[in-house]
Amino acid sequence: MSKFIVIGERIHVISPVIREALDKRDPEPILQRAKDQIAAGATYIDVNIGPAESQGVDIMKWAVTTIQEACDNIPLALDTANKAAIEAGISVYNRSKGKPIVNSADAGDRVEYIDLAAANDAIIIALLSKDGIPSDNDERMEYLQEMLERGMGLGMEPDDMWFDPLFLVIKGMQEKQLEVLEAIKMVTDMGLMTTGGLSNVSNGMPKNIRPIIDAVFIARAIQAGFTSAILNPNDEQMMQTIKCCDIINNEVLYADSFLDL
Amino acid sequence: MPFKSSPQKFNASIKTVEIGTGDKKIALGGENVLPFYSFDGSAENLKKVGIEILDTGLETFSPELAEFYGNETEIAAIAKKAAQAEGADFLCLRFEGADPNGLDRPVEECVAIASAVCDAIDIPLVIYGSKNGEKDIALFGAIAEALQGKNALFMSANEENYKTLAASVGLAYGQKLSAESAVDINLAKQLNVLIGQVGVAPESIVMNVGAATAGYGFEYVASTMQRTIMAALQQNDVMIQMPIITPVSSETWYVKESVAAEADVPEWGSANERGIMNEIATAAACLAAGSHAVILRHPTSVKAVSNLIQALA
Repeated sequence: MSKFIVIGERIHVISPVIREALDKRDPEPILQRAKDQIAAGATYIDVNIGPAESQGVDIMKWAVTTIQEACDNIPLALDTANKAAIEAGISVYNRSKGKPIVNSADAGDRVEYIDLAAANDAIIIALLSKDGIPSDNDERMEYLQEMLERGMGLGMEPDDMWFDPLFLVIKGMQEKQLEVLEAIKMVTDMGLMTTGGLSNVSNGMPKNIRPIIDAVFIARAIQAGFTSAILNPNDEQMMQTIKCCDIINNEVLYADSFLDL
Repeated sequence: MPFKSSPQKFNASIKTVEIGTGDKKIALGGENVLPFYSFDGSAENLKKVGIEILDTGLETFSPELAEFYGNETEIAAIAKKAAQAEGADFLCLRFEGADPNGLDRPVEECVAIASAVCDAIDIPLVIYGSKNGEKDIALFGAIAEALQGKNALFMSANEENYKTLAASVGLAYGQKLSAESAVDINLAKQLNVLIGQVGVAPESIVMNVGAATAGYGFEYVASTMQRTIMAALQQNDVMIQMPIITPVSSETWYVKESVAAEADVPEWGSANERGIMNEIATAAACLAAGSHAVILRHPTSVKAVSNLIQALA
């Protein structure tokens, strides 16, 4: 085990500010969000440029260089459906603080992202799904086997494959939640790494409810062995919960000020 | 089967802290391997040995030790002799006489002593306080001001007085500060955080995580040092990556095994030899457990421990 890894999710094309900044190559709003997330404890910054069909290559290269140069080469997760853009991003990526993460592959149409990660010595986030939501954990484990074999066949280290159990929204799929936690446990028991977009569980809930649901869910996920998550590091309750888990897991030395660090 | 060496290196290192100025300044820490594991990687700066003298002169020293110092009465002459002892990397001036519960030497006198000592030596200087937190605030502030530019180390700030000492010793006068946590690893980290919050750079902080004579609860000291080093290297915890300095002599020369007269316990042999052995054994154990510097009193111990460090480099 090691300290929980936080991948900051706030540089996302879905945000109008970020979309505009990417379009105009305006570094300011992007760097602001990168720095806020790093200050709050993010280990990686996710860079989601959307499908970016036409200008993806340029945008990703620009975003990777801009963020890494201004933020002491913070490691990044490159997040787009445009494979050429990911490759372009990796071509200008500085590895001094960690490998790039390719976000993401699945066992279906996106399985070739594993090949891309393997060819570029990157970490791959591998969703345990094929066509939509997996019906149960047998299915999840089947996909895991497929992807693990593919990655290892291409020479990847198992530690460079981070499996995403696919978090499901509580409002609508309440009966599936324990199964997701069980999936994390099953992957952990195989000695493998896990990750995922955890705040999906509280989607559609009132704003004042989401932080506590997210915080409790991540604590239970970490209890099951969860090793990293893509989340908003500026959610204070979430980060405090993660810091407490790191303390309880003896991954970080306790000091009275640990919540401020 | 042939032996295959697999080096244990960490993606983290102990911070380097420099004390003193000029040719003889010393650097503590800097390594990314376990203590003395020079076969795993570069141990960077060798561990250092300091020689301790007291503001009270030779009064409380054993006759043998007083003899080494030629029974000098002038503190500057004593300091000069100490600084020339073989293996001494730095000198530690301890203000035993400043303690309000003892001689309660006034701050101005202490400043004069510190200045005289500083002028008499060419190796880095460590100022060790009275062990009274209140008195040390005034004492350290005044000495730090008088020794500006000398890059001296002040031992030590504690939970009660760290704020004032960080502001005066660390910030106003640019000296180095030691944080004392008495065998409490969580407090060790917390003090580094708090002193950092006052504005002192991590490269200006060292830790005194506690000391004890071997046989006197030493296992707590050793395990605290080991856990500190592991948190620094294995967990890459930047708030505990400061080098460790351990005052050994102020423990070992006060236990009965060192002080009991030979006449009282003839079966124990020479008191002087016992004291030296106690000091060497404790110092060696501290260094192996993680200390980057030890403070010793007897020149024979200084030489022996310095030889040990060189031999294991």
